[in-house]
Amino acid sequence: MTRPLDGIRVLDFTWVVAGPVTTRILADLGAEVIKIERPGTLDFGDRRGGLSGTLMRGKKSVMLDLNRPRAIEIARRLAAVSDVVIDNFSARVMTNLGLDYDALRALRPDVIVVRMTGFGLTGPDRDHVSYGPTLQALTGYTLLMAEPGGPPAGFGYSYSDLAGGNLGALAVLTALWHRRRTGRGQLVDLAQSEAVASLVGPVVLERAANGGTSASAGNASQEGPAAPHGVYPCAGADRWIAITVFTDEEWRRFGRCVGSVAWTADARFATREGRVRHAAALDALVAEWTRTRVAEELMGELQRAGVTAGRVADAEDLCARDPQLAARGHFVDVPTREGRTVRIDGPPFVLSETPARVSGPGPLLGEHTDEVLATILGLDEREIAALRAERVVG
Amino acid sequence: MSGALAGIRVLDLADQTGALAGKLLAGLGADVVLVEPPGGSPLRAIPPFWHGAPDPERSLFFWFYAAGKRGITLERDAPDGAQRLARLAEHADVLIETDAPGRLDVDALRAANPRLVVASITPFGRSGPYRDWKASDTVAQAMGGMLYVNGHPDGPPLRSLGLQAYHQASIFAAIGIVSALIARDTTGRGQLVDVSLQAAVAAALEHVPGFWHQAGLVHARQGTLHWTRYFRVGRCRDGWVMHCTVGDWTALVEWMKADGMGAAVDDRRFEDLTTRRDEAERLFDALDAWAARYTVAELVEGAQLRRIPYAAVRAPEALLRDPQLAARGFFVPIEHPDLGGEIPYPGAPFLLADALWRVARPPRIGEHDAELVG
Repeated sequence: MTRPLDGIRVLDFTWVVAGPVTTRILADLGAEVIKIERPGTLDFGDRRGGLSGTLMRGKKSVMLDLNRPRAIEIARRLAAVSDVVIDNFSARVMTNLGLDYDALRALRPDVIVVRMTGFGLTGPDRDHVSYGPTLQALTGYTLLMAEPGGPPAGFGYSYSDLAGGNLGALAVLTALWHRRRTGRGQLVDLAQSEAVASLVGPVVLERAANGGTSASAGNASQEGPAAPHGVYPCAGADRWIAITVFTDEEWRRFGRCVGSVAWTADARFATREGRVRHAAALDALVAEWTRTRVAEELMGELQRAGVTAGRVADAEDLCARDPQLAARGHFVDVPTREGRTVRIDGPPFVLSETPARVSGPGPLLGEHTDEVLATILGLDEREIAALRAERVVG
Repeated sequence: MSGALAGIRVLDLADQTGALAGKLLAGLGADVVLVEPPGGSPLRAIPPFWHGAPDPERSLFFWFYAAGKRGITLERDAPDGAQRLARLAEHADVLIETDAPGRLDVDALRAANPRLVVASITPFGRSGPYRDWKASDTVAQAMGGMLYVNGHPDGPPLRSLGLQAYHQASIFAAIGIVSALIARDTTGRGQLVDVSLQAAVAAALEHVPGFWHQAGLVHARQGTLHWTRYFRVGRCRDGWVMHCTVGDWTALVEWMKADGMGAAVDDRRFEDLTTRRDEAERLFDALDAWAARYTVAELVEGAQLRRIPYAAVRAPEALLRDPQLAARGFFVPIEHPDLGGEIPYPGAPFLLADALWRVARPPRIGEHDAELVG
């Protein structure tokens, strides 16, 4: 045995981001993920590497035109030999295709069916349509991620898709565990709105218990009082450093890094309570100090002194100038069949005995159609050619 | 119906960086035993508090992360502390810890109980040049690439609502733990799950690394305009709304035309998605001018009827009154006897039809000491 999900087959109808995030983790863990794709499917440029490759790494691509009944029949035959069937369409799509849980269970009684919808399979809003940004708006992120008193900013991307996608992988693993114990498959109803709502955190409980209204707190600490805490400008264009000081001991270490200037000895800042009370004044002084410093150098200096700090990494910092992620092998160079090498993000956790790993690059559209039809369904060349001629497969 | 992880015993030594991992496993039915120092977990000192008054038994921060766990006290630095912990670990399936690398003798615990799965959540992972560096949630978000792309172009990068670096690391720890339990069925042995906050954040990005890899692009923050340029926040008569230009475009144009405001969008070129992307600013300005005549509720209802994915930009407390969440039982009322009442706790991130998601009251300090003596 080399990986935890060796021998598990996943029939993957997901598209864009949230669903593919779930199934890429399953592929990293050793599952055979067969991605059903439609002609003219949306992707983000190079399918092998980069964003598409990172989303589709290690999966097989089978092109099926699900508008054709014979394609649905092929999907049903694949489902009958799959452990997990997953989609992230809105609620009624799989029912309309005749591929909902009851239909799939009739084909394979212990199948695990994961429906990653926007709002869930039940309830008055079950047919509402959504994308990541609209779910982030509904759950509080967009409004409260703002400068204090400022207009909403929110995430610049679909964090909800990553949250729902990563939690989806946990759901599949748990359902597989449950099946090993009970012999039973089941339906997993993952509402992406609920997945991302479950991560908002204690503020929801605070409103439930204490009432009141929430306000944006900018970059203030959300894990107990801390000052200085936040993001401070550094030398250069749009360069910043994040600094967190909780305790008085950390404040003294911070002061030693700043050197002999009056404000680090200011009595207002001697205690955590004082620093938090005068945080605005303190932030201005810290910013004045950081403004002329190089973010990378300052980060190293502060960390070596025991102060929690890190540069605000942009894409290049993260991917090309981070010795830690490089040492951990977070980004991997993956060979393709055509003799190229593409760079892809790998799994962010290490299992010491059965490590997850990138199984391969993103597949080309329909790259594995013939292989899957031949090896899994036992179709011969003539049958596959006929299906292709009729545009059932591609 | 029982939980999917019923029968799995988890020792939870995590601070806030990994507290969600145990909470997720408790939700899934595992018996999660939170190990606190005698005075109580440091999380109990973190606000917000019930009605604002600091009290280790009334931290809502602690309650959120400890719901469904049992609690015992153990002084790890006492002469017999390590031994008591080792005895508890001998009877556990999983141990979650967030100590600086090297403090907890993970190898000894695994040697004493080869079936033990240990999840270690650290700022940068247990190896590499930054292994001894420290992180807060904000610093991990910064170093993992999440922060840089949030915020307005003329303002600072903005951290997330909620401790999302910790949450992502905890989700990946839970993924690693259940994977390791599945592997243990075959190998008979546990293993070490090494999770880095920084890498977990990097794995919760969307466009940032991918476009660097494929095109050398550095995406910057651009306010509420999503990187795809198909979403932007607009203003209605009574609040903010999230516009979307990837729904049913024809229906949106017809609607605006019926309102006498279709001139700016009634252009065949906009039927092409790439044109809508390239001319996003102009398009959203036109949508803003139109949206200003509606309330948020009217606009969202009209859009959803036409299958256009619009949404209200709401505060998190709106979740408490959301009819959809109510119909699905997302919030679970939990009795707090010492408060003489119930508090609705946010519940399951997903529903398993054949296994219960468990939400239960967080433990009082040492509440289960008598049941579990290490």
